[in-house]
Amino acid sequence: MPPSFLPLLTLLAGLGHCLPGKDCGTNSTHRHDYCVLGAGPAGLQMGYFLSQTQRDYIILERNSGPGSFFNVYPRHRKLISINKVYTGRRNPEFNLRHDWNSLLSDRPDLLFKRVSTQLYPRADALPRYLSLFAEELGLRIKYGVDIGKIHVSEPAFHGGHGYRLTDQNGLEYTCGILLVCTGLWVPQEVNFFGSELVEGYESIPVDPEEYRGQAVLILGKGNSAFETAQSILGRASRIHLYSPSPVRLAWQTHYVGDLRAVNNELLDTYQLKSLDGLVEGGLEEIAIVRYDSEERNKSSRRKKHGSVEMKGRGQLYLTLDELLDNQNKTLAFSPMTLPGYHNDNFSLRQPYDRVIRCLGFRFNFSIFEGAASLLHSGMARGRLPAVTAWYEGKGTPGLFVLGTASHSRDYRSSAGGFIHGFRYTIRAVHWILEQRYHNRAWPTTKLQTTQLLSWLLRRVNEASGPYQMFGVLGDIVLLRGSHFEYLEEFPLQALAQFSTLSGHRVTKSGMLVLVMQYGLNRTDTLGSGRAESEWTWAWRSNFLHPVLYYYSTIPTEQEMKHRPAGWPLPRPKAIHHMIEDFLTEWDGPMSHIQPLRRFLEHCLQTDLRAFYAESCFRFSLTYREPPIFCRLGYLKKQGVIGNRKLWQHAREAGLMPTHHDSGTPKEDMSFQNYITKAAASVASGMNFHL
Amino acid sequence: MKSGSDLLKTFGTDTVFDVNAIVAHVLFTVLFDEVKSVETQEELRNIERAVKGRADIVLAQLPMLGLPEHRAVMEAAFVYGAKHQFVLTKGGSLERLGIEDPDSPGSHLWFLHCREVLRQSDPCQHTTLKKPLTTLNVYTFLQLMETPLVTEASVDPSDVKTVGSHLHAPLLFLFSQRETLALDRVTAETLGWRLRGEVAVVLIHRDSADVRTPVEYNAAYRLPAEGSVIKYFNLKSIEEVVNLFREDTVQEEEEDIDEDWAVLDVLDDEVVESVYRDRDVELDVGLVTELTSDTFSKAVQESNTAVVLFFVRWDAASLAVMQSFKEVADALEDIADVQLACVDCGEWTDVCSSQLIAAFPTVRMYWSGGLPHTYTGMLGTESLLKYIMLSLAAAPVLLSSSQEVQSFLQGDLFHTQATLSPTRVVGLLSSSQDSGWPMFEGAAQALRGETLLGLFADQQAEQWAKDHNVKLPAILVFRAPDSTIKAHSLQLSSTEQLVSDIQKLLLDTFPELTVENLPLYLELRKPLLLLFLGPEGDEEQGQGLDRRDAREELHRLADTSLLDTYVPCWVHLGRTPAGRAVLESYLGSIPQLPALVLSQLASGGEVFHFPSESPLNSDTVLQWLHRVERKEEQPAGLVLDEKWGPSVPFYDFLSIMDQEVPGYAAQKTPKMTKNMVGEKGSDEEPGHSNRTPSTKKHMPQQEVPTSHQHSEF
Repeated sequence: MPPSFLPLLTLLAGLGHCLPGKDCGTNSTHRHDYCVLGAGPAGLQMGYFLSQTQRDYIILERNSGPGSFFNVYPRHRKLISINKVYTGRRNPEFNLRHDWNSLLSDRPDLLFKRVSTQLYPRADALPRYLSLFAEELGLRIKYGVDIGKIHVSEPAFHGGHGYRLTDQNGLEYTCGILLVCTGLWVPQEVNFFGSELVEGYESIPVDPEEYRGQAVLILGKGNSAFETAQSILGRASRIHLYSPSPVRLAWQTHYVGDLRAVNNELLDTYQLKSLDGLVEGGLEEIAIVRYDSEERNKSSRRKKHGSVEMKGRGQLYLTLDELLDNQNKTLAFSPMTLPGYHNDNFSLRQPYDRVIRCLGFRFNFSIFEGAASLLHSGMARGRLPAVTAWYEGKGTPGLFVLGTASHSRDYRSSAGGFIHGFRYTIRAVHWILEQRYHNRAWPTTKLQTTQLLSWLLRRVNEASGPYQMFGVLGDIVLLRGSHFEYLEEFPLQALAQFSTLSGHRVTKSGMLVLVMQYGLNRTDTLGSGRAESEWTWAWRSNFLHPVLYYYSTIPTEQEMKHRPAGWPLPRPKAIHHMIEDFLTEWDGPMSHIQPLRRFLEHCLQTDLRAFYAESCFRFSLTYREPPIFCRLGYLKKQGVIGNRKLWQHAREAGLMPTHHDSGTPKEDMSFQNYITKAAASVASGMNFHL
Repeated sequence: MKSGSDLLKTFGTDTVFDVNAIVAHVLFTVLFDEVKSVETQEELRNIERAVKGRADIVLAQLPMLGLPEHRAVMEAAFVYGAKHQFVLTKGGSLERLGIEDPDSPGSHLWFLHCREVLRQSDPCQHTTLKKPLTTLNVYTFLQLMETPLVTEASVDPSDVKTVGSHLHAPLLFLFSQRETLALDRVTAETLGWRLRGEVAVVLIHRDSADVRTPVEYNAAYRLPAEGSVIKYFNLKSIEEVVNLFREDTVQEEEEDIDEDWAVLDVLDDEVVESVYRDRDVELDVGLVTELTSDTFSKAVQESNTAVVLFFVRWDAASLAVMQSFKEVADALEDIADVQLACVDCGEWTDVCSSQLIAAFPTVRMYWSGGLPHTYTGMLGTESLLKYIMLSLAAAPVLLSSSQEVQSFLQGDLFHTQATLSPTRVVGLLSSSQDSGWPMFEGAAQALRGETLLGLFADQQAEQWAKDHNVKLPAILVFRAPDSTIKAHSLQLSSTEQLVSDIQKLLLDTFPELTVENLPLYLELRKPLLLLFLGPEGDEEQGQGLDRRDAREELHRLADTSLLDTYVPCWVHLGRTPAGRAVLESYLGSIPQLPALVLSQLASGGEVFHFPSESPLNSDTVLQWLHRVERKEEQPAGLVLDEKWGPSVPFYDFLSIMDQEVPGYAAQKTPKMTKNMVGEKGSDEEPGHSNRTPSTKKHMPQQEVPTSHQHSEF
């Protein structure tokens, strides 16, 4: 009976924390199977999954609440992550495609729209949402614990070593698995002569009035630079943005970390020659020099009223390191040291009142010591730690990097550095942990092969994970003959390790991988010919569209490494692109479904068409084995009968044979008659007597 | 026209308007038996099926008879009629071939390579005659069809004598040496297929001393024109060569390719197509209630019986079933107890996930106070209706008196349901304390919607058992068609066993096979002894009498145990017209009806036809079956042993990528990977390399970092 069963379950759940070889009960507060470092979006997301599987975990947070980064950033308080509340759809999975702030949970009401309905919400909404999330799900978080040192520790956890964390009070936490969700918060700086004269994004005043009439040079051309520029656009006199590379527009690159249109008003004022501008140049090679008041007085002695005129005008000059006297940089200013002296139309020859650094943030590497040290990734100027395709630190087994800091895997290509991307990678890492440490294989859905087409279409039309994490997470279909197993959102770059990581095998029937991808040939984003519509041209699709890869065996590490340039996966045995769709609704019978079915038929080497019961009747009697649709449906007494109108259509199309002597009596009877006259004739509609 | 004294055929003078027409029509008449004409794809397919592995087909589309094209084809048929199967069509309905615009009115001729086809499931490859239909062109074309794909020779091209050289066809020479022979053969064959009917391909063994071709060339060709010289060249790609011969028809070719794939834009799935044809009608669910996440729980909890169809809009089978479901809703409109509803799983994915829907469509019945029951029967109006109506009866129906048992069996109790169910089952137990009770209860639940199950647990049950010569526990099975009641003793071991026992007892000993019940009988995996009966009212030659006799004869036989190793059954071709196609497939044509056929579906796949001239009675049938068993009978046909492979060739994006953007889909070589890593490392500053020095004026050369331009964009 249920009443006696429930407490037992709870008890088991309690025991679940104690893993083999662990000392349970004693000192459990400082000893955990899983330590999550940081209670930001990533930390809470991981905490949720750990609590779902009832693991022994703790989230450690140095601040007094979750998501403290967002108490300060973005400085101008407008989130640029889309919070589209009104999608016109009620499919919760689909809606996550347009909800970039919510975390994943089984609570349909625990979505970001509860705290804000604005498309670009205020930043304060995020910590508020995170508190709600942590509270309602009862996540175990310890606030006020500032971990300063992380070492490798001896006690074994499933064969590997653990990690020892020391907080500001010298208290130690021993963890089997360390999940680093600390984000990026150390401002990225560049050293050049005069860099101390530069203000940082983290500390600039946000009141536009402070910039009234000022000329401002901003170092950087990312979203924080443009956000800053946009906020002072109406007050500052002149805003120049300076960094090595040209602006990359998110709507051109499909990368949400590039400049978003929501912040790009300055592009307008620049292109309409309204005083602002963008300039490219190296950051290490410049210098900022102050034209200090003493010198200014000296030089302006000749024009007496000049000092009055120049009051409040620029004092900081951008120059080139090479132009300065290397021996004695303290005697910085002289007209000779300015590029304008040498080149009278040098773009940045006018002085600035302020120089602001908006160069983004870097990962805090400093707390990882000894064998726990994290390597720098080659991506993003070394600002991020290097991680494997399953987000484990390279060289630090049992230490995983999640959230924004894990972005080196898909930097400048996908969404892994953002909430709407990493919420899915975290789920993937959690399944990998479950398999590796608890022997629970990645969950799969086992279905009949006749359902493969509609199941793929279902995912293609609603799944948010592969849609957000395009090119990075993909669904895997393990083909098994008359059935298949469907596994969602596996990290594609780890495909060579699929069996180890997921706990599933690939049989000789092979596997399919469903990936969402943007096109590779960059055409003019808004120009003509930017989209394809003919399904036979699907491989040239430019917008996000589903791509299926068929492999007969799991690709090897070597094959992964040598995959075609720009491809997420190696050359498969067969590939199918589903034509991009303006509405992202891939359900057209002609353009989407039939080509997909034919591709699946090729991979499975079987006819996947659907047949009415009548056709199955014919095939069942005349073939040793009828098509799979009949075998798995009709022969199991679940055939699709259809009706006269439908048969007529199929006959007119030449797909069902025409009966010369038609007019079966049962069809002539309406079903009202059928019911009412049932009494009169036992079998007016059934065929049990002549 | 006369042959001897027999009038063969007459034709009106309006059809013989000139010499072409006369020749054509005369030949047509002479060759009447050899040249077939078809109107539908199905007919063509039948011919294909018949000749596969034996002969090739020459298919000519002639929109009008009597034209020179007609004559050319008929003349070719006169010469080649014995060798190839000639088929004429007026065109229009032969979409299968697909290469020609079905609306294109012209005359066309194709060669269908059926002779080399080994398996029935493989299609016949075809080659199109690309030249006008003249006698010479048809003749040359057919000659070329007969030549091997590739001829091999060890002499110099100028000495080669093949069929091509007198056929006015261009010759393509490919040079091969011993080391690459195997590969070269493949290339030559590929080219052979591509150029079949247009160019003769000759593979020259260069190792022979007779070959004087300079080694720097690997191919050569000679055009058919008189005195044309051999031109040598280097073969780089197959396309190049194909283009060489088709340069003047490049435009035409491109259209051909487009049309080829345009064929793929025709829906080839009968369910999809039939649903698609109604696409102008917005999906209307009629009286079926559409449920949402907000309304689902309430709806299934509050209604007595809710039958819910879970579907997705992109699944044609779902939409087809929706049609039936709507009809059920119409029929049940006045029955207040039952609510028909549907859930669109494309939108309400959360409802479907929580209900663990793993297949589309799924029909599930929700009862107040009971566990939901997933319908596993035929997805058609009648079956669904029957299921729902039968489900409304209690399961089991508790019977309290002998009168009730009687009226239940006779269908007076639960009248509406009884008219729908051909069978009724009554479980007989001595008392409600009997250990069989819960098993019967379970079985009744499991069989809910399938049949009506009554339960009579009373001392009087003993009397019922005695009357039917069985021991308790027992069941009585009532069968509607002949109103018989049969009793069976039971060994009660488990509910599952009881369910399967009852299901077996519900099977008819001599059923009429229908589309809906065939699976029940195929499950027995025994050879089918099928009696095909003609449609009712088709009383020619007193067949009506024959039929009834034959059926009754077999019925009698079926009731004995003599046919236990078979499933004796009958098919009424009027009610089950699909049976006609079955019979045709078995025997190649429709024999005289009634026809008795033994189909060894599960074993051997042979089909035997009871000689239609013999009288059909118990003895003759049994003797015939014995002869079959002793392998003394020749099979009249075969059950097709073919795999259901992909229905059409696959549109291979990889090869298209390889063609259009070579290297795009190619795996990188290790060296390239290294470069790629380098690129990734420097992806920080892609603009860097783009900057070019341009403003050096006024700046001392040595002080200006050239890589440091402040270029505006």
